[in-house]
Amino acid sequence: MSKLFPVQEIGSLAKPKWRTKGLRQQLSSQDISEAEEWAEKLAIQDFHDRAKNILKTGNDRERAREVLELSTLYGLRLFETAGVDNDGVGGEQQRVEMYEHVIKAVQGMDLLGHVHSFDNKYFNKGVAESKIFRKHSIYLPEFLDVKKYAHRAVKVPITGAYTLVDWSFSGHYIQKQHASSPKTRKTEAKREFLLDVVEQIIRPEIRDLVNAGASWIQIDEPAVTTHPEPQEMELFVEAWNETVRGFSCKFSDHTCYPSEIGYKVLAEYAPKLDKCDHLALEFANRDTSRLGVDRDSREGYSDLKRFVDAGFNGEFGLGVAHVHDFTGSVSSGAGKSLGRDLIESPELVRDRLLFASKIVGDPARIWANPDCGLRTRTWDVSLAKLANITKGAELARETYE
Amino acid sequence: MSPEIQLAGIHPRSEKLIELTRSYERAKTSWNQVEIQLEQETRELIKLQESLSFKHVSDGALAWQDQLRPIARSLKAVESGTRYSRWFDTNTFYQKPIVKGKISAGDTDPKNFLQTELLTGERNRKITLPGPYTISQLSENKHYENYPDLLFDVALAEREIIRRLRNEGVSLFQLSEPCLVYQPYRESFRDQSEVELALKAIRSVVEDNPREFVVQTYFGDVARLLPKLLDLPIYGVGIDLFETDISSFGEHTAKAVVLGVVDSRESYVEDPRWIADTARKFCDQVDVQELVFASNSDLKFLPQEIANQKLEALSKASELFEEGR
Repeated sequence: MSKLFPVQEIGSLAKPKWRTKGLRQQLSSQDISEAEEWAEKLAIQDFHDRAKNILKTGNDRERAREVLELSTLYGLRLFETAGVDNDGVGGEQQRVEMYEHVIKAVQGMDLLGHVHSFDNKYFNKGVAESKIFRKHSIYLPEFLDVKKYAHRAVKVPITGAYTLVDWSFSGHYIQKQHASSPKTRKTEAKREFLLDVVEQIIRPEIRDLVNAGASWIQIDEPAVTTHPEPQEMELFVEAWNETVRGFSCKFSDHTCYPSEIGYKVLAEYAPKLDKCDHLALEFANRDTSRLGVDRDSREGYSDLKRFVDAGFNGEFGLGVAHVHDFTGSVSSGAGKSLGRDLIESPELVRDRLLFASKIVGDPARIWANPDCGLRTRTWDVSLAKLANITKGAELARETYE
Repeated sequence: MSPEIQLAGIHPRSEKLIELTRSYERAKTSWNQVEIQLEQETRELIKLQESLSFKHVSDGALAWQDQLRPIARSLKAVESGTRYSRWFDTNTFYQKPIVKGKISAGDTDPKNFLQTELLTGERNRKITLPGPYTISQLSENKHYENYPDLLFDVALAEREIIRRLRNEGVSLFQLSEPCLVYQPYRESFRDQSEVELALKAIRSVVEDNPREFVVQTYFGDVARLLPKLLDLPIYGVGIDLFETDISSFGEHTAKAVVLGVVDSRESYVEDPRWIADTARKFCDQVDVQELVFASNSDLKFLPQEIANQKLEALSKASELFEEGR
């Protein structure tokens, strides 16, 4: 990509109601009225023919497939409409979410039940009941649809092995350890489980994706910054390097919402990640909502320097838009607060990109993106945010022309 | 006498309660329906503890949204609700308390802490609260210039809150102090002078009735700190056996040791024989007068069914341990 500050999405978009319901049951024409409305906004030319097919089929599997394909098309067109340069996989419409989607494809793992995350939010946690194997492709069917419809560059976000293991119970892998110390047993179990996830699940999946034409794989590893101990970080590096070994595509890491010192630790280890050409990081969440390219205005981006100082010489995917509920105040010209949403202005995006360029020292190494996937925002809000990121990137580009 | 068994924190919600709370979030269920299920599950948990011969009974804190929230909401000059932070290295989060002024005890509604009406028949009630060091460490300080001032104001306020809870019949207070042994959120681990401050703050909290307190550590290795904790004038000290290397222990104590001997972060249910055997090995290293069996931390990290099986395993292990003496 030769232009400065290209824009990428990071992962998920919200799932429209017709997509969620259409996987479970027959849809009515009322159910897809929302899809019709968006067909116009996103210039989906053959919506009516596709809608007819979805409504008339009595075959659950056929309907589900058609709904998944259509929702992927919608996601891609939403990104295109916003002017995004790399459209990912159209908002991960074919996945339950980043963890469960993978676990369901793993033989030897069961989802045990929900555990508390916070407030009234939970996640379904899996356990390794025996040695694990991949049952079927996890991301390939989605990627094949993406290839069919994408007009722009794409990348495939996948969940990294370290995060999958960290969010699971080790079960079988604990029970087969013989060390007398419970702590040693846990440590040894984690390593064995992790390397099995790499070899049995992730590498075969990457191989399939690369063989099908994927040229950029984004590995999502939110769990990595939660264990800052050196032995854990070394384990992460070992798993990463084994994951990418022998593949020739571009790899990037996406790690967001770290602990207080999370990025400090990741920065230290990032240069050790083989073939990691790009780090997509979350910054907007902790930044001020006022214009300016001074250090105080851009306090949320201070950790970026840690990566530069540590010697990471790849690209940065800079989080320039918040993806969660926003309750703070917004200074004049920096954006609009609408209910629970903040729509960052192009000028705020521009200032974030320009400040980061000063730290990195080379604007050609910076991409613009939301902090994380936009699945908690409505499509209207996602479109508005992405469109402003695109405009902000254009403004930043102008300063270099 | 066989070792006592205790709950060591928040117990998990059932799938039914989880579904109700999710449905409540989507405005499809009333809060009243959630409360009915909460009550029923609390009763069931109390019954389970009774059937397993627990001496101290807890309500499981099923309604608590995170480990800090009830106490953070009872402190004056502390706000929360805008930021979530990760709970140590788990995949769970807590509302970060933001300290905006001088801390003192605010209005304390005991119902925010425990289901007193459901514990009516229980003479020995136990509650788990974060200790003063952990509260102060996990808060964002926007007021105090000196950290010790924050820590000791938290301790004074917590002592006051505990007085009110004592009036509700609580006779055993677990002060959870994971920050004493694990600080993944900091660039450098606390030093010895900070330990002394923390211990002083704990002494301040417990000074009214020290024998009613257990200080529980988890997520980290307590080995080096154990002698100092055993010096506290309290009933007992809790240790996480899945993080602590006991090979270097050589203590003698008249205090109770709460042995975190089932892992709240692994679904594998420990064999009661292994638990009993591990406890025996511990006793070979530490000359302990009174032993309590528990999970290493809150069981909320597990699905409820597994958590209950772990409690049953502890009960069975307690019998096996006694038989083997």
